[in-house]
Amino acid sequence: MAQLTNNFSDWLNQRVDTESSFAFSEAVRSPSLSKLAGGIFPTRKDEEWRYTPLGPVLDSSPGKDSASELDIDFISNLKQAVPTGHTIIFINGDYSEKYSDDPLSLDDTGLSITHLTQLKGPALKMAEDIIVHSNLTDDNIFQHISLGLSQAGLFIHVEKNAASKTPIHIIHISTAHSATSFTNPVNVVRLENNSHLKIVEQYASPGDSAVITVPANYIQLEDGAGLEYYRIGIENAETQHVCNTSVKVGASASFTSHQYLLGSNLTRSNLEVSFSGPGAEAVLRGVYLGDDNQHLDVRTYLDHAHPHCSSDQHFRGILNGHSRGVFNGLVLVREHAQKTDAQQSNKNLLLSRDARVDAKPQLEIFADDVKCAHGATVGELDSDALFYLQSRGIDKKDARLMLTRAFAAEVTQEIGIESLQTYVKGKIATSLDEIVSPRV
Amino acid sequence: MLSIKNLQVSVDEKPILKGLNLEVKAGEIHAIMGPNGSGKSTLAHVLSGREGYRVDAGSAHYKGLDLLEMAPEIRAREGMFLAFQYPIEIPGVNNTSFLKKALNEVRKHRGEEELDAIDFLSLIKKQMNLVEMKEDLLKRPVNQGFSGGEKKRNEILQMAVLNPTLAILDETDSGLDIDALRIVAGGVNKLRTPENAFVIITHYQRLLDYIVPDFVHVLSDGQIIKSGTKELAYELEERGYDWLLEDSEKV
Repeated sequence: MAQLTNNFSDWLNQRVDTESSFAFSEAVRSPSLSKLAGGIFPTRKDEEWRYTPLGPVLDSSPGKDSASELDIDFISNLKQAVPTGHTIIFINGDYSEKYSDDPLSLDDTGLSITHLTQLKGPALKMAEDIIVHSNLTDDNIFQHISLGLSQAGLFIHVEKNAASKTPIHIIHISTAHSATSFTNPVNVVRLENNSHLKIVEQYASPGDSAVITVPANYIQLEDGAGLEYYRIGIENAETQHVCNTSVKVGASASFTSHQYLLGSNLTRSNLEVSFSGPGAEAVLRGVYLGDDNQHLDVRTYLDHAHPHCSSDQHFRGILNGHSRGVFNGLVLVREHAQKTDAQQSNKNLLLSRDARVDAKPQLEIFADDVKCAHGATVGELDSDALFYLQSRGIDKKDARLMLTRAFAAEVTQEIGIESLQTYVKGKIATSLDEIVSPRV
Repeated sequence: MLSIKNLQVSVDEKPILKGLNLEVKAGEIHAIMGPNGSGKSTLAHVLSGREGYRVDAGSAHYKGLDLLEMAPEIRAREGMFLAFQYPIEIPGVNNTSFLKKALNEVRKHRGEEELDAIDFLSLIKKQMNLVEMKEDLLKRPVNQGFSGGEKKRNEILQMAVLNPTLAILDETDSGLDIDALRIVAGGVNKLRTPENAFVIITHYQRLLDYIVPDFVHVLSDGQIIKSGTKELAYELEERGYDWLLEDSEKV
């Protein structure tokens, strides 16, 4: 379905001529630019976008605006999430040498981090190969924005058998005085055989800066590799965020992903994982926490194309005010993917009458010897549990808070970086403190 | 300490308690027995402040306070404790932090200083021996994955930690094997002082082999139809409830 003219599309196409130093080669860019010239954005008539209106993105026309002066406390607070990590900060899409850790301080052998715009020759070819062979489909217009117009991002490459001890902590800060700011960073990650890495990506926008962020991540895990990948969104209520992530998981490789959608006005996170060899596993976790008029949409697509692979998804939503959550998860088990173990669970807690969630867990199974289960629940706090806590002297507000935190903690307790777990739990607790109150 | 007068309570328009009277004084243990459906659990729930019960008439005063006007958490902070017949599982809430929070709410209310983590742990370790509870149950979410006996011991542990003035045990003995029963009863006996009181609601006489009540009341169709001493419990064990029900109908 086509939505032919919109401000955003017009603005993007102007950018092709007015900007320079794009990240990728003409060969990668030009098909994407043709797609963008077509200007076909999805509407709610498209099944994949049925629950999520793109109006807040498509109506906007970002401007050219110098970055607001950033509060140093704001940045150091973000760094608290992973104080032991190697921090790389982008402000409005530009690498910030001032606030990032010195690249020379990172001496993990076998790990290299390169800015996409500095990639040349074989390294550029390597990164673009990963992009070209990704899971994202050609009709995914947002990935074309990333490929055609991106001017920033990283290529993270770990050589075989290398295990990086230091988590890579990438912080994207978007800020603007008056006009809407726009960023579309691309990360390409390649883990060679039996290598291991942790990446934490954080998105933030201070104050009331209006922001549009369209990131894309292309991840390739080769045989026996292991990646823990965390995405934390704590943007302000003027932020629209549409993200695509493609992950190819090789034989006996392991991909663990955590997503915490704790901010923004609109977030749509699309995560597409496919197994490219047997014996691989994917663990997908996430919490979306909405209030007021927030719209938080998680889409996952898991392609079991090989036998003996396992996937385990667990997403939880907490929605207050008029907020809306979407979980749309599809697990595809192909005919020859025998001995697949695919689990998918989505649980939602509605804290107000006007909050809403659309849960759509889907299983498509074409193999006959598999273990698959999925389920979704939408509910309120358990009144028996509330009474039990009250009967021990805990007042109703605190009891509600404890139960709501506990609901999220079932997911957050699995965060494999201690400081990050504390940070995310703290962010969730702070938000819940503000929104949880006794229902009258 | 507890004074219930002509208490009438209904659930979904159906009268359950039909004029119940009960006086409990400090230092006393009262057993309330009765057949299924006589209103035993309703009494426990109403006294602890659970929603879903309508008080149609009568009153309940605890330490001179109008109990029925108090929120459940205030009742608890004032020293009332209900041991649940079916303790609730609470995923994601750690048993230790739950107990610490509960105790500190009660202490705050009493004007006592809140306990820090270290003081709390030493207190709880002492009380755990009382109910012979395994330490790893403290690290688990509240009641989650506990066996029936472990849940009941956890109730008694909470009671020991919160040190209530008035404890109501709602069929704490149901579903317990003899060892668990002995441990639960032992906990109650050790907590017993001249200042506190217990109301033990039970279907069977066997718990009363371990906890000796001062008074036994028979609840039937929402009223106490007979009160006596522990001998009444033995008589009920031998003769069942029917003879009493017939007697009360004659009256």
